[in-house]
Amino acid sequence: MEIGILRRDGRTDPFFDGAAEDRLVIRRCEPCDHWYAPDQSGCPSCGGDELVWAQASGEATLVTWTVLHGRPAADGTVPPPAVLGLVELAEGPWLNARLDGVDAAALREGLALRASFVHPAEGEPYLLFRPV
Amino acid sequence: MGEGAAIAGLGMTELGRVYGRSARRLAADAVRRAAADAGLGPADLDGLVVSHGLGGSPGIELADTLGLRDLRVLTQMNAFGATAGAMIAYAAMSVTSGAATTVACVFADAPLRPERSSGAAYERSAREWHGYGGMTAALGFRSVNALYALAARRHMARYGTTSEQFGAIAVSTRQWATMNPLAQMRDPITLADHQNSRWVAEPLHLLDCCLVSNGAIAVVVTSADRARDLARPPVHIWGWGQGHPGHRRERGSEFGLTTGAAVSGPIAMKMAGVTVSDIDVCELYDCYTYTVLVSLEDYGFCAKGEGGAFVESGALGPGGALPTNTGGGQLSGYYMWGMTPLSEAVVQARGDGGERQVAKNDVILVSGNGGILDHHSTLILSPHRKGA
Repeated sequence: MEIGILRRDGRTDPFFDGAAEDRLVIRRCEPCDHWYAPDQSGCPSCGGDELVWAQASGEATLVTWTVLHGRPAADGTVPPPAVLGLVELAEGPWLNARLDGVDAAALREGLALRASFVHPAEGEPYLLFRPV
Repeated sequence: MGEGAAIAGLGMTELGRVYGRSARRLAADAVRRAAADAGLGPADLDGLVVSHGLGGSPGIELADTLGLRDLRVLTQMNAFGATAGAMIAYAAMSVTSGAATTVACVFADAPLRPERSSGAAYERSAREWHGYGGMTAALGFRSVNALYALAARRHMARYGTTSEQFGAIAVSTRQWATMNPLAQMRDPITLADHQNSRWVAEPLHLLDCCLVSNGAIAVVVTSADRARDLARPPVHIWGWGQGHPGHRRERGSEFGLTTGAAVSGPIAMKMAGVTVSDIDVCELYDCYTYTVLVSLEDYGFCAKGEGGAFVESGALGPGGALPTNTGGGQLSGYYMWGMTPLSEAVVQARGDGGERQVAKNDVILVSGNGGILDHHSTLILSPHRKGA
């Protein structure tokens, strides 16, 4: 999977710290026990603006999915398609997710998935979801 | 409401692969044309509402470009694809409250460049990506196509909606476009053409996706009384509404299943004094075929989950029970955000549709849809004075 090079942005670094250790670290509002994606700022449930970083279980289910096809190049070659999904973490939040190791024809709502990390030679690790 | 408000002028620039003019110049041209259409000059305008856009669209400095002076209303608005409906509502409130008398509303965008494909116009690309958001972009979340595909797939999985049913919308919309000289895509298509068109993001084929266009469209809103004395037949604004569902991206979300049309539709229809059975024509925001289908359900033209069967019945095409996107919409006509459905509604209300003119145009519903089903607006328009 060729995705280019991934760098930190100073705002979501704890996600990458966790990813380096194969742990899924996301955002959580402690006062109201509500979990969010790593790029969430502030808690729309209670209005609080002090989200902490917390380790999620990595267990997830599939909400919906798409197979994304690249545009054909001038020479007619087509880049390999990507299976993308919305996944619902066991803690509740939805993530925009790249799926790996799945048969696109067999995807269904509720399919059990688990967070998995890839550690490229250069740049930060990235998150994939694979069938349990 | 008193005498009510009406659309008195419509101005459209050349639309599509139109190069050599900035979005600001296109916007200025559209405003001048809209004023001229109403039999007015730019100096007769005392209000200007400019839509936010993405491709270097103008802001309120457009007033200076046009040489407008002593305006009583001047603002830029943004509800993404729902902006046109919101602008018209604001303009109608301005002229009925006395804040202004004659307000132009304009959208302009110029995302297309000669050397680039349409698909690249609104897509992100980079060799290096930064942070968590950069990671999801690197992994494929780079354009709205994937996000609408996720919504469409969810509708299919929940309700059994099929790709062929999305295709029925593509085909009926193209049927209308064949009769619109301004439409960018005018060759008829079949359901097989739809099914055979390349995948963009499954379940969306290329023919499920809207065009990308450069250009600008403006309308002039004034009081119904004043509109009666202007050059063209007034298009009366009977009602408006907005709906912003605020879908949370978490367990229990209705994302993909319902839209803000479920809120904005009833508000607009109640204001207009009509029900869904009174609507003669629909001009719906059709960034994707799926968007039309889910909007029809949320407006109540059919039950939730039955949009597929409804569009398959042939209701939307020429001769159908609910003529919809009669100019070819954004799928086959031109993509000017919410000004696409609005401009065609004005054409149909005036009886200017030529070969594609619908027989019954008394009550026209216009929708706008913005973000990823985040924002919705509805207008109810008519050639007749409200309550007359």
